[in-house]
Amino acid sequence: MRRLVLPGLLVFSLVTLIVCPLVGPHTLSLDGLRGVGNDARIFWELRLPRVLLAWITGATLSLCGMVYQAIFRNPLASPDMLGVSTGAAFGAVLAIRLGVTFTLFGIIPGISAAAFIGAVAATAVISAVGTLRRGGMSEASLLLGGVAVSFLFGSLNMILQYGGGYVDTFRMMRWSMGGIQAVGFVPVLAAFPALAVIFVTALAFAPELDLFTCGENIAAARGVSVLRLRRLLFLAVSVSVGMNVALCGPIGFVGLLGPHICRMLCGGGHRRLTWSSTLFGGGFLAVCDTIARTLWAPAEIPVGILTSCLGALFFLWLLMRRQAPS
Amino acid sequence: MTAFLEVLNLGLTLDGREILHGISCSVPRGECLGVIGPNGAGKSSLLRCLGQVHRRYSGDVLLEGASLRSLSGKQIARRIAWVPQGGTDSLPFTVRQFALMSRYPWKEPFRGETTEDVRIVSRALRLAGMEPFAERPMDLLSGGERQRALIAAALAQEADILFLDEPTSFLDYRHQVETVELIGRIIRDEGRTVLLITHDINLALQCSDRILALKGGRALLQGRRDDFLNEELLSSIFETRFSFVPVPGGALPHAVPRGDFR
Repeated sequence: MRRLVLPGLLVFSLVTLIVCPLVGPHTLSLDGLRGVGNDARIFWELRLPRVLLAWITGATLSLCGMVYQAIFRNPLASPDMLGVSTGAAFGAVLAIRLGVTFTLFGIIPGISAAAFIGAVAATAVISAVGTLRRGGMSEASLLLGGVAVSFLFGSLNMILQYGGGYVDTFRMMRWSMGGIQAVGFVPVLAAFPALAVIFVTALAFAPELDLFTCGENIAAARGVSVLRLRRLLFLAVSVSVGMNVALCGPIGFVGLLGPHICRMLCGGGHRRLTWSSTLFGGGFLAVCDTIARTLWAPAEIPVGILTSCLGALFFLWLLMRRQAPS
Repeated sequence: MTAFLEVLNLGLTLDGREILHGISCSVPRGECLGVIGPNGAGKSSLLRCLGQVHRRYSGDVLLEGASLRSLSGKQIARRIAWVPQGGTDSLPFTVRQFALMSRYPWKEPFRGETTEDVRIVSRALRLAGMEPFAERPMDLLSGGERQRALIAAALAQEADILFLDEPTSFLDYRHQVETVELIGRIIRDEGRTVLLITHDINLALQCSDRILALKGGRALLQGRRDDFLNEELLSSIFETRFSFVPVPGGALPHAVPRGDFR
């Protein structure tokens, strides 16, 4: 049964990548895709890049959630909870408030650059809190530090939104809801490094992540340098999250949901979990984004709203289903 | 007596509080040192220093004459395997998967498990009597089975030295006896050196060649096992009156704490 999980998820991901670009308010004719007409332009310049960006984003967030959950030994740890997303949002909101219009290197929008700086700032604050404490950071203190930083940046965001004009405030709110936007393949290429960083990290440190799951004591007893490695992994994940959130805004619950479902499907080993989280997270967000842009077409629901709604309901179900600890 | 593991004047201060003070002891190869003492005597802290989890201790820990300070976590784990207290934390792996994870210190990066790893793990499971449970999830084991699985995993780590932290607490009588027998096999048949931490004086007497008594972070006494068959001595270590009761057919008397019970 479990041997079928990875091939199954691979098929799921491939099917979403093929089917999702074909779905939309404008029905594409398959013959039109080869030419240079409207159908081809809609497919190659709008829909396929968007589906690919959604897939990469879902895979990245899902992997980031998996690593966070392992190093904190906490099922609630996820990119949107640990302050990194909120820090990125603060960067973006501040850029909007200041009316930033520049473009970095000709391709990276100023808002994305600001969001990335915000994510890095949040990561730095959390790490500093953990490092300045003598004796290193325990799982719990780093986690709580992340939550505290998240609230801090959240309140700063609200101050900026409260003080902004109507147009700015709407743009800030819209950014904070998260969404996949792509015209052409530049955003897709921009999103790829984040996925590469977290995927290689997760695969390289799969045995260590397994041992982290067993708790600090056992990990240390097997020779893992717990404190140093946790800091390293925390930085790798946070940089990946920051790079992704900078492009797509905070998209909630994908990082929480993906690894949870995969753990139920194929167990706790992180080598398999890395592959399955990538495939599931990618396919899941590609489907969600397709629903988000077709459900009320021609209007769009920000995909972050959809994933948060689904994710919250899923989490309630998970809580009710979970057995009380013995 | 040639010292295999040697502790020299070890001290530990955490948050300005002195946890351990001037502890020296040595363990010959293939012997068991029992470390006893009341709760809070510093037993677990001593183990953490020896296993290099706390590295900010003063003094030194020598293994075959070489300091452990300069070794990396993986290098330490090749020499010292550690069985932590049983606990109830979720371990979302089967017994065999969990034991295979003990091969970590010997693993090359990006490599899966080798046939050698599989063989070593099977042998460790057999030794601990855990072969019938190999495919069971760790979370569904009873306390006694879980303890044996933890010991089996530590054996699979193939280190010369085994640290056992309160291996029989929370176990029923049958599992206590089985665990003691298993520890005996590990020392006798496997030739491993064991450090056994416990507040249970009878467990220490049954398993150890030598005993170190800690109290308030200091070494109260260190000596041969038989030196501790002394009621006054035990009473001063544990601040409770003790009596030794002879066990029919057994060589060792049983230490019984005395109180004003009904």
